[in-house]
Amino acid sequence: MNCARIVRSALVVAVLAVTGGCASSEQWAEWRSHNTHFASDRHMGFSMRNNMEGNNPKVTRADMDLSPRENWWGKVITVRPDQIFEN
Amino acid sequence: MARWVAVALIAVAVGMATAPAPAASPTPAEAVGEKLIPLERYSTPKGQTLARVHQLRLYKFSEHIWGCLPWLDVQKQSIGFQRPKGASGDDRYFSTWILIPQAENPQFAAQPQTRRMSAMFSRYGVDLLRRMAGVHDVLADSNVHGFSVVLSWLKPGTSRPGAQPVNESLAAFIDKATGLEYLERRIPHADFARRMRVVGFDGQTDLGPQVLELWDDDFAATFKLPNYEPPAGVTC
Repeated sequence: MNCARIVRSALVVAVLAVTGGCASSEQWAEWRSHNTHFASDRHMGFSMRNNMEGNNPKVTRADMDLSPRENWWGKVITVRPDQIFEN
Repeated sequence: MARWVAVALIAVAVGMATAPAPAASPTPAEAVGEKLIPLERYSTPKGQTLARVHQLRLYKFSEHIWGCLPWLDVQKQSIGFQRPKGASGDDRYFSTWILIPQAENPQFAAQPQTRRMSAMFSRYGVDLLRRMAGVHDVLADSNVHGFSVVLSWLKPGTSRPGAQPVNESLAAFIDKATGLEYLERRIPHADFARRMRVVGFDGQTDLGPQVLELWDDDFAATFKLPNYEPPAGVTC
């Protein structure tokens, strides 16, 4: 009886582990195949705007410079260059 | 009365002349040039000579990244010839540091930190390495020991309202032979990962040496921003 209970518990744990692992792998595969992971709505907003107006369908580098950057230098805690390099 | 008007006009004129001007966006030349390490920052003759000899090449490389990968940022004064902190000699690495705008993403956040570093290096580090290896004059210079690639991105969960944003970073140092063998697919991912030196950072906390797991990821090499037109004179 005890043995059967142990086997049953082990099976449940194994199934959970396997299915949990599968879900994680699928999600990770999604990130790896998601080719716009970096592009928040705000980053892409100017492109949509230009298309909707219909008079300037091209996006320039200047447009990109004007778009908000979520992790702009100076606002984020980042490793200092002198922690990595010597000049 | 006329005197008061004159005084007021003079005061306005003086005020306009001395008031700080609104911050202007840098010109394209400034945006590209500010990414290069200034010559005066190099502390050894070898570094200074490399920077001086390859100044134009570095500028063109900076322009290439700026114009062809417009969704990325390059840290100011990061493109040049650096040496690793604590190095005993003066081996110089052709270096670039990019900032990747990684949005909050539950799948990405669920991965262990080392796995996120592996993903970022697979996606952006290898592509950057390939672009750096395309700067032939620099590559051919015997005083260039290898490549250094630094990648930074927002640590998941730190860009939410009320949180202090923190970047995760990795700094990779790769000797020239190893880099070229890998790019030419003469060594597998695992060998390359073992032979390069990677240090991880969580904000400003040094996480120490990291061993990455790499895989093929052609996103950075193939993705085109919709409707994007590279600047005149930049070939992508």
